[in-house]
Amino acid sequence: MQPDDVSRVLAPALGPKLLAVEPFAGMAGRVRFERGAALELFPRVRDDLGFRHLSMVGGIDWVDHREVFYVVWSDAAHQYLLLSTDVPADNPRVETASGVWPSANWHERETWELVGIEFDNHPDLRHLLTPDGYEFRPLLRSFKLHEPEELEVKTRHV
Amino acid sequence: MSEMWINMGPQHPMTHGLWNLRVKIDGEMILDVDPEMGYLHRGIEKISEDRHYNEVITLMDRCCYVAGLAWEHLYIIASEEALHLEAPERALYLRVLCEEFQRLASHLMWYAAFVQDIGLMSPFLYGMRDRDLILDLLQSYTGARMTYEYMRVGGVRSDLPPGFTDRTRKVLDWLNARFVEYDQLCLGSDIFHKRCDGLGILKANDCVAHGVTGPMLRSAGVPRDLRRDRPYAVYDQLEFDIAHADTADVTGRYLVRMEEMRQSLRILRQVVDWLDRHPGPVMADQLPRWLGAPYAPVGNEGYLLKRHYPKGLGFSAVEEPHGEAQAYVVNEGGEHPYRVKFRSPVFANISAARQYLIGYRVADIPPIMGSVDVCVGEVDR
Repeated sequence: MQPDDVSRVLAPALGPKLLAVEPFAGMAGRVRFERGAALELFPRVRDDLGFRHLSMVGGIDWVDHREVFYVVWSDAAHQYLLLSTDVPADNPRVETASGVWPSANWHERETWELVGIEFDNHPDLRHLLTPDGYEFRPLLRSFKLHEPEELEVKTRHV
Repeated sequence: MSEMWINMGPQHPMTHGLWNLRVKIDGEMILDVDPEMGYLHRGIEKISEDRHYNEVITLMDRCCYVAGLAWEHLYIIASEEALHLEAPERALYLRVLCEEFQRLASHLMWYAAFVQDIGLMSPFLYGMRDRDLILDLLQSYTGARMTYEYMRVGGVRSDLPPGFTDRTRKVLDWLNARFVEYDQLCLGSDIFHKRCDGLGILKANDCVAHGVTGPMLRSAGVPRDLRRDRPYAVYDQLEFDIAHADTADVTGRYLVRMEEMRQSLRILRQVVDWLDRHPGPVMADQLPRWLGAPYAPVGNEGYLLKRHYPKGLGFSAVEEPHGEAQAYVVNEGGEHPYRVKFRSPVFANISAARQYLIGYRVADIPPIMGSVDVCVGEVDR
């Protein structure tokens, strides 16, 4: 499957909300979409394109905005596909994918607690790897390492 | 009977690591489960952002302490893609050698721990004994038994010592004969079948929906293996079969892992034959100096000089002993990765715990979770 094939299926349904389908080494492509189109996109990627397996969800902090990415796998094409959307840093939220791919549940919990992305309508958005009440988002660029004293004081009695 | 929540963990023989399985029970029946992770979270993804590309390899060994080389391999492939580098062919074969050794060591460790969970003591001793043979071989060319730090961006650290391939062939022959005994000990035992048959069933559709991969998926009749479906390194030049079963239960996972070990022996024989016939370099030449860490003196110069490298994104997926591991490396130029994200197969396999635990009894939890092969280091990272 090539980026053109992906684009041919997705473009009619999503229109301008599909920003681009770029080539990506070793994958079927990198789909960039508007975050508002998440719920229209996910079922189409799963059912029409056959990417039934969601492998991971992650976030990247680009300081001026954040990026949420999804990696999905198709058993028929034996290929991965990368979905990616940008969210503003002051309102980092996107619709959950766990209704379409149940495996997104834990990956989104992790992305929420480490990168600070809010997933709307997530069934169970709790801390997974960090303690309950932990208020930091460690994978943000503003979270600097090498400041152990300050951190120790803040996290001791969570 | 009244319902209640109990904690199995964080220190419980079933967990094989530090995590807590909260179980809601009514008498002996499991009504609900809620795995609690994070006891081993070290922030490996965050620390990686502060380190040179080669320094992250140290963390990869700690990611999964029974399959460190598989995780090194994963990270190395993604980094090389992000940095637009290529390793020489002999290094690729050496990496496959590492990964298959690691698969054997990891599965033997799993075998030892799993059969002990279900009450068979002697297989534990045999499994650990034979795993040591693998660790001896790994030690002879990496210098370490568990935390190897062997692979490098652009190749591997060193070539094999003299006589290594002959020693390897002896070990492979020995293991091949032992696997027959393993099967006799387990499949010939009533205790094994009573505790494993028909337990922890997870059908193929549920596996796919919940992101379950590796031996658990293959035991449900889906012969999916990245080594075959999306070949990396030199797996497309090696002959092997994909082990799979169709019972989707604990026994099925046992059968899949045992067959995988036999296939690993097959791969290793081909790899050592190739290595015997094809001497050559194991590191790419013309690496930037800060990447040639083992050869360049590590002084202030290497650390402080900012060298810019073209930007790039790297993605890799590796069939780790537990399932599909993935790495996503973002290179924004410079010496440190901008962001590293790992996908752990066990993370997804545990997240589906509700699907394969509810409806069974408390005493079934050790064999079922044993068949998942939990490695908490890679779940929490």
